[in-house]
Amino acid sequence: MSAPVTHVDAEALAEFRAGLATGRRGARIAAHLAGCDRCTALDDQLAGVSVLLASVPAPALPDRVAQRLDAVLAAEVAGRDDPERAGREPSPEPGTPSRRAGHRGFRLPSWRVLVPAAAAAAVLLAGGGYGLSLIAGGSGSHGIASSAGSAPSVGGGANRAAAPVGSAHAGASARSALMSPANFTVVTSGADFTEADLGQALAAELRVPPAAGTEQIPSTRMRACVQHLAGGADLVRVLSARYEGQPATIVVTRTGQGEEAWVAGPDCSGANRDVLARTSLPSGI
Amino acid sequence: MPEPGRPWPSDQELLGRHVAGDADAFGELFRRHRDRLWAVALRTVCDPEEAADALQDAMVSAFRRAADFRGESAVTTWLHRIVVNASLDRLRRRSARPVLPTGDEQAFEALVAQDGDPARAADTRLDVDAALRLLPPHQRAALVVVDMLGFSVADAAAILDISPGTVKSRCARARTRLLPHVRHLQGNRSATESVQPAQGGDT
Repeated sequence: MSAPVTHVDAEALAEFRAGLATGRRGARIAAHLAGCDRCTALDDQLAGVSVLLASVPAPALPDRVAQRLDAVLAAEVAGRDDPERAGREPSPEPGTPSRRAGHRGFRLPSWRVLVPAAAAAAVLLAGGGYGLSLIAGGSGSHGIASSAGSAPSVGGGANRAAAPVGSAHAGASARSALMSPANFTVVTSGADFTEADLGQALAAELRVPPAAGTEQIPSTRMRACVQHLAGGADLVRVLSARYEGQPATIVVTRTGQGEEAWVAGPDCSGANRDVLARTSLPSGI
Repeated sequence: MPEPGRPWPSDQELLGRHVAGDADAFGELFRRHRDRLWAVALRTVCDPEEAADALQDAMVSAFRRAADFRGESAVTTWLHRIVVNASLDRLRRRSARPVLPTGDEQAFEALVAQDGDPARAADTRLDVDAALRLLPPHQRAALVVVDMLGFSVADAAAILDISPGTVKSRCARARTRLLPHVRHLQGNRSATESVQPAQGGDT
């Protein structure tokens, strides 16, 4: 077989790139590449696969998974004083220390700062119910049990607060649960905002917590859109609603001074903001 | 990896504290890495529910087996290894119901189409995630660890518990297999630089 007509197939090229084609075989491929545009182009494309993969942003850890991991970890810590480890483990008493609730070992949900620790677990059950059941459905159902069961050890005396779930959630207020642009939920709203009353209508919308069942996990595209709009700012709420009659994503961020709302059209993505409107909301509405 | 100049303790130090009974140390260590660990789990099992289960399994396993860590590799390598194993375990357990038959062009199209909005098909991550599902799990795990997370072949070998040569060949096969499905994306990103017009021997 003469070299000029025998092109190198993609797998052989990939192996060559990976350093697997050595010796005479490697030399033959190298020689062929030096004189063949077609195989060089293919080789470049193969290199491009790795470049492309490296450029894809990592998916964010969803808050509901983070919360579940925190709860499971708290249970592990609490259960550490089993016979095997009893000798050396000064394990915390579940339910003792309200002070422990704020310690740094665990990342409580981001609203920890604003919600009394005791309510945090209850909020997790109420507000995070959708996410938890989504994640923990089917094979993962132990997740619910362990999250719920261990929540008290995360939040100190949270078991007492767990009963009045609804009131704890309401007490936490819709505004206080700041979300990160990397981990957030989208609230589907029937509202159709207009340019004239955007600020007022949004303020009214934000005054009440999202209705049950309206919170969803964002699509990849929406996540990219929201991250693009919010930059690094914390999110107060992300709404999937309408603006002047057309579908719109409304992103409310917390800024130093107050809150900033962005209204983005359906073309909003990681590459294109498609901003239809923007307004500032006074803080503490 | 100890990070000189940083005020916080190294991974190894945290793990040591955990083994010695510090109740907070493991949480701090895991929190440091869990975003990346999530990415590994999610991309290896291609299903958020399974990934959450895998990550949880791995976390519990690492928590309990911390004393077994011998320091032969970086703590982060060890953690990744546990997560990859937990992920592959999950895949094995549900092998009766695979995500997609591998290498099935139609399934790939269906997967892309299933996302409805055609504009979303342009979303690189979505497309890449969909294409990754076409790979056999072991090839996918190798590619995720090397190309997406940027581990060296040697570290990847430790994470995947295979030889460096096997890492290379799995990655090579995976890239070959992925190429037809992601070629159209290469123009969107920095990958453009590497796809030059055919001008091979420019001597």
